[in-house]
Amino acid sequence: MTVTDDSIIRLRGVTKEFVRGGERLRVLQSLDLDVKRATFQALMGPSGSGKSTLLNLMAGLDRPTSGSIEIDGKRIDQMSEGQLAAWRANSVGFVFQSYNLLPVLTAVENVELPLLLTPVAANERRRRAQTALRVVGLDDRMDHYPRQLSGGQEQRVSIARAIVTDPLLIVADEPTGDLDRTSADEILTLLETLNENMGKTIIMVTHDPAAAERAGVTLHLDKGRLKE
Amino acid sequence: MTFASLAARNILRNKLRTFLTVMGVGIAVMTFLLLRTVISAWTAAADFAAKDRVVTRHKVTFVMQLPKRYIDKIRQMPDIKSATWANWFGAKDPKNDREFFATFAIDPSSYFEVYDEIDIPADQLAAFKADKSGVIVGDVLAKKMGWQVGQDLTLESGIYPAPDGTEWKFTIQGIYTTSARSVDRSTLFLQWDYMNDSLPEVRRDQIGWVVSRVGDASKTADRGLAIDKVFDDEDTQTLSQDERTFNTSFLAGFSSVLNAIDLVSVVILVIMTLVMGNTIAMGVRERTSEYGTMRAIGFMPKHIVFFVLGESIVLGALGGAVGVLLGYPFIERGLGRWIEENLGGFFPYFRVPPGWAVVAFFLAMLLGLLAALLPARQAAKIKVTDALRRVV
Ligand SMILES: Nc1ncnc2c1ncn2[C@@H]1O[C@H](COP(=O)(O)OP(=O)(O)OP(=O)(O)O)[C@@H](O)[C@H]1O
Ligand SMILES: [Mg+2]
Repeated sequence: MTVTDDSIIRLRGVTKEFVRGGERLRVLQSLDLDVKRATFQALMGPSGSGKSTLLNLMAGLDRPTSGSIEIDGKRIDQMSEGQLAAWRANSVGFVFQSYNLLPVLTAVENVELPLLLTPVAANERRRRAQTALRVVGLDDRMDHYPRQLSGGQEQRVSIARAIVTDPLLIVADEPTGDLDRTSADEILTLLETLNENMGKTIIMVTHDPAAAERAGVTLHLDKGRLKE
Repeated sequence: MTFASLAARNILRNKLRTFLTVMGVGIAVMTFLLLRTVISAWTAAADFAAKDRVVTRHKVTFVMQLPKRYIDKIRQMPDIKSATWANWFGAKDPKNDREFFATFAIDPSSYFEVYDEIDIPADQLAAFKADKSGVIVGDVLAKKMGWQVGQDLTLESGIYPAPDGTEWKFTIQGIYTTSARSVDRSTLFLQWDYMNDSLPEVRRDQIGWVVSRVGDASKTADRGLAIDKVFDDEDTQTLSQDERTFNTSFLAGFSSVLNAIDLVSVVILVIMTLVMGNTIAMGVRERTSEYGTMRAIGFMPKHIVFFVLGESIVLGALGGAVGVLLGYPFIERGLGRWIEENLGGFFPYFRVPPGWAVVAFFLAMLLGLLAALLPARQAAKIKVTDALRRVV
């Protein structure tokens, strides 16, 4: 359990295969990867190269076919489904390409959602959600529904939802994929701020070289292997 | 925000669909209630039967008759307080032969002693007893046919030919009422002697059945057995039953109809369950990516199950409430009163059986739960990564 360096994520020999129609598809080939604490890393690569698959493994949404995944000293590849769900609730913030806000909830309620799984009291939940929305600059949109927000604003709500539980790690799968340049820049600036001011470790999948530039480190994935 | 408020939001999400489903369930619940009421009303006469009355009829079938002298034998038996007899006269108004009503030829001096829940003004009863061709009719029947005391009636009987070979002529001498639920308010009573005296010699002195009142209501069944024993060695044997059993066996002729209604009421519930199941399944399918998102955030399959089942139970409860709130007053106030007035011969007491409104409501809720079991299982089983891939 002792971490000698300051790696927060440590992958060793991670292989992921999918079985589709009786055929085995090897998407990730014995990957080794160390991600340093409080870094902002971009993950690039051609479509179908396995970026989302890798991100899902690091976020505890899926388990590797073989190899080990250690995050902040915990072997998440050995956890049960229930343990993983609880671990995700505590340790990971998710940002999706299409925001994935619940349409029936207002901005502040969407941000509050992950806190429902914690013992935090109702008024404290609301207070924390409001704080998170303030961080992403949406204090004036608290009671708007997702359909009343622009794409950029929706993505900011989803970032607020990702940070409200104060996770170790934020994973973002093409967070600017659906946004115009200006909104994309705002989101990237926001992620930078979270990384620099709050010390969050962020892994972001992107196709956009301009987006990748904003991250400190860029990983390239090709045919199931990491390059550079 | 809480788990419950999140579940509630989903119910209000597609208002039209929710409205249609709730109305569908509501109408099903209402129909269910109505059918249960029909079944209960049909057997109500049996349920409200007097406990101290024994009906004695021909052992083979109540269509066959008994010798008149049996009444005297029964009257002499111990613990028989009073006894009377009647024949099914089977008359109709030839001008209005679609209207069905029961016609009994009775003994005027003893019948209303045995059936003391039938109320007749004393002067009218006296007039009836004094007039051999007099009749007494139920108030509901009189109202429906527009009959008045003192009016002459001409009836046809399919069983007993009229004295002059054409039609029976009567005079209405009285109108009876009753507060007892067991008594049909659409019956016509005529004098048994009038009928008997006009029959050919061979058909005389035959009675349809005997009704006796016993002193000890807890021994009614035993008294019945004792009566049958007396006639065991005679050519014509008897079958005596307490009034409730007798009414039930009379109704047994309708049992296939009742069974059909029973079945339909169950089928309606099945259809209602399928309708709810369909709505829930549609909702689950549409929300796959939302459930995926929630699972990613850390919600467990049990939480998803809670949302799906909760939504369906609430749908069932709403539908059940609509069905009961519309159906109960509709049956109790509107339809039921109309049926009692107009179809009293079949349904003297048409009311929602006690407790069934509550049963219907909880059934709707329970079936809501049942309807959602499969969709909930599906929603809980989805793989998070698969559900999220579907977003794009
Ligand atoms: N659940 C699954 N079952 C079967 N095959 C899968 C599954 N998930 C991913 N794959 C396959 O694995 C490969 C990598 O998929 P992945 O989504 O990781 O690619 P990606 O790099 O994120 O691509 P994109 O840039 O288009 O998002 C693809 O060939 C995909 O079809
Ligand atoms: Mg991808």
